[in-house]
Amino acid sequence: MRKQFRDTITALAALDERIIMLLGDVSVYLMNDFQQRYPDRFYNLGICENSIISIAAGLGSQGFIPFAHTIAPFITERSYEQIKLDLCYNQFGGSIVSCGASFDYAWDGATHHTYTDLAILRLLPGCDVLQPGSRKELDVLMRSQYTSGRTTYYRLSDHPHSIDLPVKFGKGVALKDCGAPVTVMTAGPLLRNVLEACKDLEVNFVYFHTIKPIDRELITKFANTKILVIHDAFGLHEAINEVPGLRTYYHGLPDAFCGWYGRLEDIRTKLGLDVQGIRTRVQRALSSEKG
Amino acid sequence: MIPACKQIRKDILSIAKSSGHGHIPTCFSIVETLYAVYDVMNHRSADPRWEGRDIFVLSKGHGALAHYCLLANLGYFDITRVHAFGAFMSDFGCHADRIKVPGIEVSTGSLGHGIGVAAGIALAFKIKKSPRKVYVLVGDGESNEGSVWEAVLVAVNRGLDNLTVLYDDNRSHSRGLQIHDPVAHFRGFDCDVVEVPGHDLPALKEAIQRPAKGVKVIAARTVKGYGSPTLINDQYAWHRRSPNEEEFNIMMRELDEKTI
Repeated sequence: MRKQFRDTITALAALDERIIMLLGDVSVYLMNDFQQRYPDRFYNLGICENSIISIAAGLGSQGFIPFAHTIAPFITERSYEQIKLDLCYNQFGGSIVSCGASFDYAWDGATHHTYTDLAILRLLPGCDVLQPGSRKELDVLMRSQYTSGRTTYYRLSDHPHSIDLPVKFGKGVALKDCGAPVTVMTAGPLLRNVLEACKDLEVNFVYFHTIKPIDRELITKFANTKILVIHDAFGLHEAINEVPGLRTYYHGLPDAFCGWYGRLEDIRTKLGLDVQGIRTRVQRALSSEKG
Repeated sequence: MIPACKQIRKDILSIAKSSGHGHIPTCFSIVETLYAVYDVMNHRSADPRWEGRDIFVLSKGHGALAHYCLLANLGYFDITRVHAFGAFMSDFGCHADRIKVPGIEVSTGSLGHGIGVAAGIALAFKIKKSPRKVYVLVGDGESNEGSVWEAVLVAVNRGLDNLTVLYDDNRSHSRGLQIHDPVAHFRGFDCDVVEVPGHDLPALKEAIQRPAKGVKVIAARTVKGYGSPTLINDQYAWHRRSPNEEEFNIMMRELDEKTI
């Protein structure tokens, strides 16, 4: 998906001279072509995530459209106050593009895992929060949102799905609406596992790439069903519950650090977010009154 | 003390008294620095968004009252508006909101933010090949924050010689984490540093106008509460206090007695 980020931003930069790339010493080689084409609009600022956001805000204040890109925990959790104040409170538009979440750096341990980014950023006024699951979703959302003037967070993944779905900012997708008493809701690259786990189960199925603003209208259609949110991060479950009166259950992360190292698949299996784990949880939802 | 700076201090005192808010000692320490910058930089009080203006950022946002009083003195708005300082629904909060107050470029308050944003603005002017300049006023206590030094590192690395850091060395941090030799610190980062007496207007203006080799830092040796011995002698007690009638009268008298 990083390659898609490169392709889309390079294409947009050709059309719009206001676009500035700010890197935190990540994806530098990948962006070689961008740097060569637009040397005045490419800055590898080094490992200083707080300043990258502040610099982005300063550029945004003068009419530029900055894209700040580095590793998810450092640009979101470490720089949360800069995002809150320098970008959102000041209303200086800018885009933040992270890589590495949730467990793309599984082997690096808890310091590099990121599952709070979506949850904390959706709390900030003026911040749109996107978790594109596929290359197409990233491309469409970037093209539609980069001139919004708002702080926009894009969470990239090294393990995107390739399921071709309609993409419109702020809109979820009902992949299956069969009038079932249980609705499974998910977001981002985990779609592949969740879809595979549910393929022959009698459940409604809703997918999101936009965590904020969440598609309340679509959620409301399933308000009378038991909603099982399956997600490898915090934030989606909370966003869905913006709609009052829902009966929701969350299958995802525990209140614990997931410091098991290994591969993404290992962590997902340990959390029950592999195909079998998800299937077992959905079947329980189908058979149990309590969820 | 020139009449304008004396009047700004009197306005600060009056508003602090009537509103019950104010960081009076820190506001008093930056009056000459603020006055000197606005005297030198390109700006138009009748057209605050003028496209050719230089940019000033108050990174130590708790000095907002001094900034408001200076902007009023320069004609950005009437000083009577500032008397709602900190009041419910007022435009003039204890930390400034750029959306609400003409002449405020960046909303600040949490320390260590304004300098990074100022560096971003300076970078924007470089990219645009604009002659516009950026000035940022940073406190010595604020400089306990690592983000200040991170921003300096980036600014130097990017060759932002259109950025001037005004370092308010009022020794506010003397009871906390001390920076004993700020000149050496900034020189260590390859900044072009000059140290000036921080209440000497001609010296400040000369330092601000001097061409810089790289990121310029003006270390202004200032006094918290300058102009009022009452404030100077008990600056910690006065950090956030506002004066009662008797204290107010004493400080106003002290200001009138201040001749240099």
